[in-house]
Amino acid sequence: MTTTTAPEHAPAHPRPVGRPETQRKKMARMGWLFSAPALIIIAAVTIFPIIYSVAMSLSNVTVTGNGFSLNGFTWSNYSLVLQNGTWHYALSFTLIYTFITVAVEVVFGTCIALVLQRLTRGRGWMMALLLIPWSMITVINAELWQYIFQGTYGVATYLFGLNNVLGTPTPAIIALMIADIWKTTPFVAIIVLSGLVMISGDLYEAAEVDGSSGWSTFWRITVPLLRPTLSLAVLFRVLQAFGLFDLPYVMTNGGPGTATTSLAILGYNAMFKNLDFGTGAAVASTTALLVLLGCLISLRAFKVQVGDQEPS
Amino acid sequence: MNGRKRYGWHRFINGTYIATFVIAVLTAAPLYWLIVSSFKTPVAMGASPPQFFPNPVSTANYSQAFVQYDFGIYFRNSIIVAVVATALVLIFGTLAGYALARTPMRGKFTTMVTLLIISLFPSIAVIAPLYLLLRNLGWLNSYQGLIVPYTAFNLPFAIWILRNYMLGIPKEMEEAGRIDGASPLRTLWSIIMPMALPGLFTAGIFCFTACWTEFLMALTINDVNNYKTIPVGIATFGTPLEVPYGTIFAASVVAVVPVGILVLIFRKWVVSGLTSGAVKG
Repeated sequence: MTTTTAPEHAPAHPRPVGRPETQRKKMARMGWLFSAPALIIIAAVTIFPIIYSVAMSLSNVTVTGNGFSLNGFTWSNYSLVLQNGTWHYALSFTLIYTFITVAVEVVFGTCIALVLQRLTRGRGWMMALLLIPWSMITVINAELWQYIFQGTYGVATYLFGLNNVLGTPTPAIIALMIADIWKTTPFVAIIVLSGLVMISGDLYEAAEVDGSSGWSTFWRITVPLLRPTLSLAVLFRVLQAFGLFDLPYVMTNGGPGTATTSLAILGYNAMFKNLDFGTGAAVASTTALLVLLGCLISLRAFKVQVGDQEPS
Repeated sequence: MNGRKRYGWHRFINGTYIATFVIAVLTAAPLYWLIVSSFKTPVAMGASPPQFFPNPVSTANYSQAFVQYDFGIYFRNSIIVAVVATALVLIFGTLAGYALARTPMRGKFTTMVTLLIISLFPSIAVIAPLYLLLRNLGWLNSYQGLIVPYTAFNLPFAIWILRNYMLGIPKEMEEAGRIDGASPLRTLWSIIMPMALPGLFTAGIFCFTACWTEFLMALTINDVNNYKTIPVGIATFGTPLEVPYGTIFAASVVAVVPVGILVLIFRKWVVSGLTSGAVKG
């Protein structure tokens, strides 16, 4: 994909100065110049730390007066993590939590979108209302639901006759999921609605003429045409839910016990509570690796995103 | 559609309106509870059965949030960090987005995919080295300690949005500018920027919201009272033994309002950002 071998598109308009090739090279240089500030800052704050984090996870880390130092190569951080029951639990908790919340959000989100699509009046107001949970600080969401599920005077405890929800493992996990679903379903609904709007009305009319029932129209027309929108939303939600931290950190503090300790909380506690940076980095790196794996598996979807408008 | 005409209040009693009503109630109920609880007295907060309307209505929580708990400081810090980071993201993002949309750089595809993957990386993966880096720079507990990471983490998404937006602007526009002898920067500023304004709104509102709500980095990097942002401040209200929910909710209402207003004003662009394909929660 070099400049010289790339298919040269005939310029629609004459370039002002120089031969096309010189001009092209000049433009490419300018492109890098323009992107440089952004790329440098991104590299410095994300790529460099990711590499450093991996290096840390493969070293004997000693905490010193001003930070920590890396002494020698070791696999021990990983073997420690991989054999650790808490890590196994955090991994399966994070996976199950991600799976259930995303599945519920997609189902509910699609239902809401289907309703909003039929709504002729007040759709703008509904959209506005749905955007509020999306824009809310997760910490506030966590405090709010903690209060709602509070053991003695919480409103849900009173209305539904619950008992110490946040102090019992399984109910605490469910409460956490409810808080997450409340905040994120609207976001999925808005994305799905945009996908629905793009489906041509002619298709539905044709289906009606052919005598298709509402249900089969939904499965045979709506769902297949919605798939690209839906799969991308699911992908982003899954990868994001995998970094779950704010909600359980504030709402249940990873408890009761370690019932709601996600991978991110485990890594955070290892690093900043126990000052065990090697193990923490191993937890963080494995999490990152899993996310990267998810990205690579779905690279095809990303390619669709970048699109075919790639001139050279 | 169905041929029947409905009159009077019967028009509103159909499946769609009932479902809409249920959705609205389920979405609004927790918000109602947040607002109502912020006006309760400490005694009313713990009342059982709960008060569904505050009696008496008290604004003590609001004054307490600002007087006893330094919420004003947190609010100021959040504004400074979010505004500066958003401005930087828009400046660098416009430049990079333009370059990636328009110039014949090599490796554009790789760059775009890398950016997308970076924007999805959980921040726990970078937090420890980032902490070390900022510590060595002496940037822990400072504004730049949050502004720089926030800029970096929000740039990929902004570049995506802006690049996609600029791809849609006709090339003829800038070529006209170039023929007139305008420098590339000049062309970008006076021809592309005005046309890309909706893209800038979208990128800006997403970046601002992300900075306003970010927790993990803010918690790790700025833990001194003078530099805490709202999420960290609210999370550390009270003592381990006593959670002052009333004060927390009063502060929360104040924190939700600016972003809420912003989102409502720029609703159109938020939705277009959510739906432009490059989706982020």
